[in-house]
Amino acid sequence: MIKIRSLRYIAVLAICFLSASLFNVTTKSRNYSESFPALVCPPSLEGLSSQLSVANSQVKYQGLTNRSTKMTSFRTTRFALTNGAIVVNAEGITPVVWESRPGNWSGGALCAGPQISQWFVGGSANVTSRGHLIVANSGLSDAIVDIQVYSEKGKQPLKSITVKSRSFNLISLDSLAPGDQALVVKVAPRSGRINSFMVDEKGAGLRSLGGDLVNPYAAPSKDVTIPAIPNQIQKNGKNSSAHTLRILNPGSFDSDFTAEVLTSNGRFIPVELNTQSIPAGKVSEFKFSPEISAKVLAVHIKSQTPIVAAISTSVTVGGHSDFLWSTGAPKLDAISLAIAGLTPVVVFAGDSISVQLTVTMNNGKKYSRHIKGTDIVTWKAPANSRILTIDSTGKNTYAGAIISSVNGYGYIPLQAGSDLARVEEPSSNIRVLIP
Amino acid sequence: MTDTEKINVTAIVVTHDGESWLPAVVAALASQTRPIDRIIAVDTGSLDSSARLLESARIEVIREQRTCGFGDAVARAVSEINFQGEDSNEWIWLIHDDCAPVSTALEKLIEAVENKPQVAIVGPKLLGWHDRTHLLEAGVSIAGNGARWTGLEALEYDQGQHDGIHDVLAVSTAGALIRKDIFEEVGGFDSNLSLFRDDIDLGWRVRVAGHSVLVTTHAVAFHAQAATNERRSVDVVGALLHRPLLLDRRNAAYVLLANSSWWMLPWLTIQLFSSALVRSIGYLLVKLPGYASDELLAVATLVIKPAVLVKARKERKATRLVSPRIISVYVPPRWSQLRLSLSRLTESIRVKIFPVHESPTTSVLESLEDEDLLVPTKSNQWFNILRKPEAAGYLLIGLITLLASHNRIGALLGGSLVTSPNGASDLWRSYFESWHSVGLGSPNATAPWVPILALLSLVTGGKISLFTTIFFLAAPVLMMWSSHTLLQKYSENKFITIPASFLYAMSPVALAAVNSGRLATIVILILAPRIPLVLSKWREIETIAWRRIYGLAIILAIFSAFTLVTTVISFGLVASSIYLDYRILKEDNDKEVFLARLYRRLVVLLAPFLMVTPYSLEALLSPSKFLTEPGLAIAGGSTPLVLTANPGGLGALPWWAFSPILLILLVALFSSTLAKEASQFGILVLSAAVFFTAFKISVHGSSNQVSVWTGTFIAVATLCATVSGVVILDRLRSVLISSNIHYRHIMAAMLLLLSASYGVISTAWAISAGADSPVQSGHQSVMPAFLSAEENEKTLVLREFTNGDRKSVQYYISRGPEIFLGDPDIVPRQVIEIEDATKALIDGSGISSSKTLASYGIKYVFVKSPYSATLIQTIDGLGGFSRTSATSAGVVWRVAGEVGRLIFTSTTGERTVLPTAEVGARINVPGPGTLTLSESYDRSWQVLENGYRLPKARNAQGLPEFTVTEAGEISLIHDGTIRRAWLSLQLIVITVAVVMALPAGRKRREISEEELA
Repeated sequence: MIKIRSLRYIAVLAICFLSASLFNVTTKSRNYSESFPALVCPPSLEGLSSQLSVANSQVKYQGLTNRSTKMTSFRTTRFALTNGAIVVNAEGITPVVWESRPGNWSGGALCAGPQISQWFVGGSANVTSRGHLIVANSGLSDAIVDIQVYSEKGKQPLKSITVKSRSFNLISLDSLAPGDQALVVKVAPRSGRINSFMVDEKGAGLRSLGGDLVNPYAAPSKDVTIPAIPNQIQKNGKNSSAHTLRILNPGSFDSDFTAEVLTSNGRFIPVELNTQSIPAGKVSEFKFSPEISAKVLAVHIKSQTPIVAAISTSVTVGGHSDFLWSTGAPKLDAISLAIAGLTPVVVFAGDSISVQLTVTMNNGKKYSRHIKGTDIVTWKAPANSRILTIDSTGKNTYAGAIISSVNGYGYIPLQAGSDLARVEEPSSNIRVLIP
Repeated sequence: MTDTEKINVTAIVVTHDGESWLPAVVAALASQTRPIDRIIAVDTGSLDSSARLLESARIEVIREQRTCGFGDAVARAVSEINFQGEDSNEWIWLIHDDCAPVSTALEKLIEAVENKPQVAIVGPKLLGWHDRTHLLEAGVSIAGNGARWTGLEALEYDQGQHDGIHDVLAVSTAGALIRKDIFEEVGGFDSNLSLFRDDIDLGWRVRVAGHSVLVTTHAVAFHAQAATNERRSVDVVGALLHRPLLLDRRNAAYVLLANSSWWMLPWLTIQLFSSALVRSIGYLLVKLPGYASDELLAVATLVIKPAVLVKARKERKATRLVSPRIISVYVPPRWSQLRLSLSRLTESIRVKIFPVHESPTTSVLESLEDEDLLVPTKSNQWFNILRKPEAAGYLLIGLITLLASHNRIGALLGGSLVTSPNGASDLWRSYFESWHSVGLGSPNATAPWVPILALLSLVTGGKISLFTTIFFLAAPVLMMWSSHTLLQKYSENKFITIPASFLYAMSPVALAAVNSGRLATIVILILAPRIPLVLSKWREIETIAWRRIYGLAIILAIFSAFTLVTTVISFGLVASSIYLDYRILKEDNDKEVFLARLYRRLVVLLAPFLMVTPYSLEALLSPSKFLTEPGLAIAGGSTPLVLTANPGGLGALPWWAFSPILLILLVALFSSTLAKEASQFGILVLSAAVFFTAFKISVHGSSNQVSVWTGTFIAVATLCATVSGVVILDRLRSVLISSNIHYRHIMAAMLLLLSASYGVISTAWAISAGADSPVQSGHQSVMPAFLSAEENEKTLVLREFTNGDRKSVQYYISRGPEIFLGDPDIVPRQVIEIEDATKALIDGSGISSSKTLASYGIKYVFVKSPYSATLIQTIDGLGGFSRTSATSAGVVWRVAGEVGRLIFTSTTGERTVLPTAEVGARINVPGPGTLTLSESYDRSWQVLENGYRLPKARNAQGLPEFTVTEAGEISLIHDGTIRRAWLSLQLIVITVAVVMALPAGRKRREISEEELA
């Protein structure tokens, strides 16, 4: 009798335990809010022509300087930018800007969300320079931005500028480090919603030496892969492209690097790029002209310290010279790019390439492709493509796109202009006031 | 010069139901060495055989009405005394029927007045009737508050310390020898003083008439003080309701007011009233309301009849020769009255705490009978103390506490514990205030543990942080002491009780409570062991005195003040007990017992609940408060962890430090001793703890739902396990010693091994990883100094917290540098508009966030570092926020627009910020418009203009808005009438409970003669 009564108590304990355990499982929840930040596209500078490729005609935008919060639809998938930068509500499909000086050069860039820091490897401040740095503030408060310039002479004094709300500042590259040949510019906002773009344009007198839009890095890295570098071959079979690797080690100590070239014919390390030393804080340039038949190549750079690097390639288009800056790309991930009006040659680089992509045509039809290979694989988007979507990808794959037009060549790294901002909904808790 | 030969003494014996003492009195009179010349007795309507007794002793008896007072009786007797001639020296000797003079009394009295013609009255030393060493009086005076002043301590032993012949203000009429001529000259006894204080009045009048009064201790009389001690009824005229105390107090006031100088009268009246009030409160506290009313009625009955006093003062003026102030030398100084009162108080407390146990004394020679006197019987080596388990145990827990607390030397903070305010006054103010400037403002009732903490902090001079630090340091030792006090009741073996109480103090719940700043659980762990001591017969609760029931209710009220979890436990216990009582009622039909139990059980449940009103009543509207503890809402542990009696959460022991609590409770279930009852209750409470782990609550300023902290339940379960373990081991020890090895030996060994290993593991953890638990000293303020400096300004504080790979942003509205103790318990729920605005601020969609924040008077947004740059960029990108600073502490934005606590909007739409104090304001408004107060809406907010209340409404944001019709000065107030009413109710309930729990005073008639002696 005593034992039975005692067992009842144990039963009560067991029932409480089981019911609490079951109830616990069913009550876990967490709320998130998801949004794509509005992207900022670079303005069309004087004398330049800019076209913006967007995913569809319903994508909305507003002028950067517009104080109203109202946005309007593009009503087209290829929109001519006439004045000023714009803010685009792209909803996850990154618009691409194609900018050109008719008859001289062209270049491509991605519209992007506000950045914490941007590294531009490109441009010069010598007499040939006609380039500009564009610093746009899409926020509703004034912004303070630090501009740190590095050149072959070393780290330049820090410049801080104020960018008024909903406006952009245009800074001539030759004013950043007058007379210096090789620039690397870091733009870091102290406050504000900042995007910056670089237009590298060169000329000698009235003669244009070409130009390009320089795509930025988010941060230096020890491993940099530049996935798409055009390599023009002359009819006589000799290599016509001159490549120059511009590299900066922004750290405090000198470092060594080695660059490996990836081609469809295999990998090799040019002697010019084998275990080279790069001084801390100084921009170095290394020219190399590989005797290869491949039309595109990729370069993988390994360094002892974090670096930023880009390769400038001289090309000839329609009898005039142009150059383009191929910059490092992040590891390829699932992204979507608006490529209406462009027929990019997408170059994938990596040890083992396996990419599933989908192309959406202007008429809405979709085509899927599975790209496989090793080292480097190229794929050209069909004409009338509107959206390029990378659905899935293998590990350590990098991609960039080379776009050509009658005016010149351009390069864009395949990366998202903005990531889906997934924010856990904030909660009210007095605990925040306790140290 | 007095010629003793010619002295003629007439003894006047006044009787009133005095048959108990009269035989001794008559015998005493008859045996005087100096014969009494004549004895006259006056019987005032005795209902007993007093008159017959006197007559049988051949004493002349004058019969008077029962309402005849002592003074009138004496006057009647004096009128009967024949005049002996001019040379005769007539004296009257007043004898009470309960006063027996020793045989030499008259002789010594007469000796004392020899050659002293100025002496009009001489009195004997009065000793107790039963205890004849008890000194009652040797002369008497009156204190400024009317108290009869003998200058003696309570029950003072007569060792001749007051012996001699002394000048005094007056002597008791019991045994007083009075010169008849002077007696008649001053008008005899005042007929308004039929009983009590007539002696002092006579002495005073005799003195101001130029005569003196002596007491001679060579003359002794034994006095039963029958009227004072309520051994007979008081039937004299003017004795309202036959109450001696009432008459005594009334007469005391009369004597003072009739005899004092006129300019002293206002002061004396105030003094009489105030002292009567204080005494009546004292009587109420000891549950003697009759005496309390006597005190007040006595003064009132006198004051409402001023004509009596005026007449009395006129009569005294006629015989006055010197100023009434002449007697001031006999009035005791105030400090001596105070000293005597304190002495009596401390003595009564001392007797309560250290009762005198009279043990039979034995001869030293007997005790050493068989011992070699040359061998030292004691060793004074200091380390011998360590051989005592209690000394070793307390030393060990103290040492462990010190090692585990090396990060806790200083102002403590962390876990649930928030910053301590500067002083106790801040806590008191918070408790009494009707409005609290926390978050968007709160009218909620401050938790009742706040005044308890303020009260306790008096030991550290009101320094709350110092008290908190000491409290957390001392908590384990106090837990051990408290549990050991209980365990001693169950086992005399200190080798069992000391380790058990050590394990109690080192239990998972004790460690977690200290490490995570759980004030309530610590208090419960310290005080819970007192409950079984107070209440040992819960089932037969009707046998427990009401006093103990209310004592228990007060302890439970202290628990409830800290956490209403105890109300949940009480409810479960009382409800189940009432159900069982009802089943018993069905069987034996004893309704009387059932009702007696019901009332007591309901008092145990409801009295603590009412004592913590209005906090407890607010909990009815927000039931999650029944499961909370003071301070920040920090999650408790998981269900499996709680099953092992480990409450989990911050600062808790890891799961692998498995305590033996659950095992002991389970084993004890199968015991047949008291251990089983304890374990049954322990299992039920632990089941409740396990059950409540499934509950998620969002309280105390947190919108996050966190698991309920079940520390209170586990504390009770731990105590039950400790008691069970001690009882089992105590009983088992003898069984194991006397039996062969079997399963019980193995079980006991396993239990002991598990307990010992837990003790080692928990100790090691407490002094290593446990020492880095959240509650620590040396924290710095979250808010930058420049933001804290702006008083009354609201700042939205955002902080990013990382939990593993999960990042979350939390926010709150700050109104100063810190959040202080008690604040988290009263903060209101966050308003939905601010929630939405903050959400939009973070996800970047908050175009109108600044507008919303400004409308609630939030002037700044502060993102505390470390922060994600994206968050800063997002806020930068939104309009309406302008950066004011970015330091290592974080980034601050100022919200655009007119932001303030009180905004005046004119009819043209122009907005002006008006200055205010922390709560109210008194300012001018320029004209008609609306006043918007950016505080939570509460009906007690009022704005007065020209003595009228302005119309109030709740605006779209839910803020109070007032319509101003004209220019002028306005007063913004938060009307605290309701809060004061609740506090008054609480005070009344607490007072009643305390009075009921206090030991009851006894009426004098209820005190036995032996005790009086």
